[in-house]
Amino acid sequence: MTAHEIAAQEKQAAKGQEKTRAGRFFLPVVDIQELNDSLKIYADMPGVKESEVEVTLNGGTLTIAGTVSTEVYQKLAPLYTEYNVGNYFRQFELNEDIDDQRINATMRDGVLELTLPKSERAKPRRIEVNAR
Amino acid sequence: MALLRYSPESDPVSNLLALQSDLERFLRNPGYGLGVSGSGGFPPVNIFDTGDGVAVIAEIPGINPNAISVSGQGHTLTIKGERRRESSIEAQGYHRRERAFGEFSRSVQLPEQLDLDRAVASYDAGMLTVKVPKAEAAKPRQIAVNAG
Repeated sequence: MTAHEIAAQEKQAAKGQEKTRAGRFFLPVVDIQELNDSLKIYADMPGVKESEVEVTLNGGTLTIAGTVSTEVYQKLAPLYTEYNVGNYFRQFELNEDIDDQRINATMRDGVLELTLPKSERAKPRRIEVNAR
Repeated sequence: MALLRYSPESDPVSNLLALQSDLERFLRNPGYGLGVSGSGGFPPVNIFDTGDGVAVIAEIPGINPNAISVSGQGHTLTIKGERRRESSIEAQGYHRRERAFGEFSRSVQLPEQLDLDRAVASYDAGMLTVKVPKAEAAKPRQIAVNAG
């Protein structure tokens, strides 16, 4: 095995409040990066199509939800499995002040990319120091 | 072997529940003579009977399909590739860094009656599906009964 070979990650069950929908929910794994003027979130949700993702920001709580399609499994009988399939759900409390009018979300190849622009007053500002 | 009980007529919630319990039952099932290398490796694979062959479904989110190599040699199916981090997120500070990137390679030893030459692979929503049909010689055939 080479140094940068990937190890598979066991899917973690989503925690928190119980869902009204039955079935297992999984936590999408995420990368969250802070840029000067925005937060970037990448969430892996394999099996979720663009139309099946829901992102909401409500009072500082960011909710990511994705519904998997079971269509591809019609007429298939499992022989050997390593992972389970389920909807995705994860919530984050945002400390940053986000401009919710300009949030951008794209879904591509099972990865949700979220750009959360900081609101004007939350952006870092350089303050000129004047000589007297 | 029972086919999964998913149908467009039944509601999505019961479809998903049936799927989840079926996938659970076959977790690392040693039956069917499938040799899977590096169990626990990336990408995780699920293997299904399609009726006329097998389907190998792997979760590989966020990869260019051209960066996945699917090859067959003898009765071994190999899925290889490299998953790269989105270039826009280099350099600066991370609050969380949970996603894994790097090279990967998995091999599945398939039963003899499958025809790897006619395998087809597709990639959609971060899922790679490789369908390998049964060899013609392994298919059931009707034998004509001639009058004597």
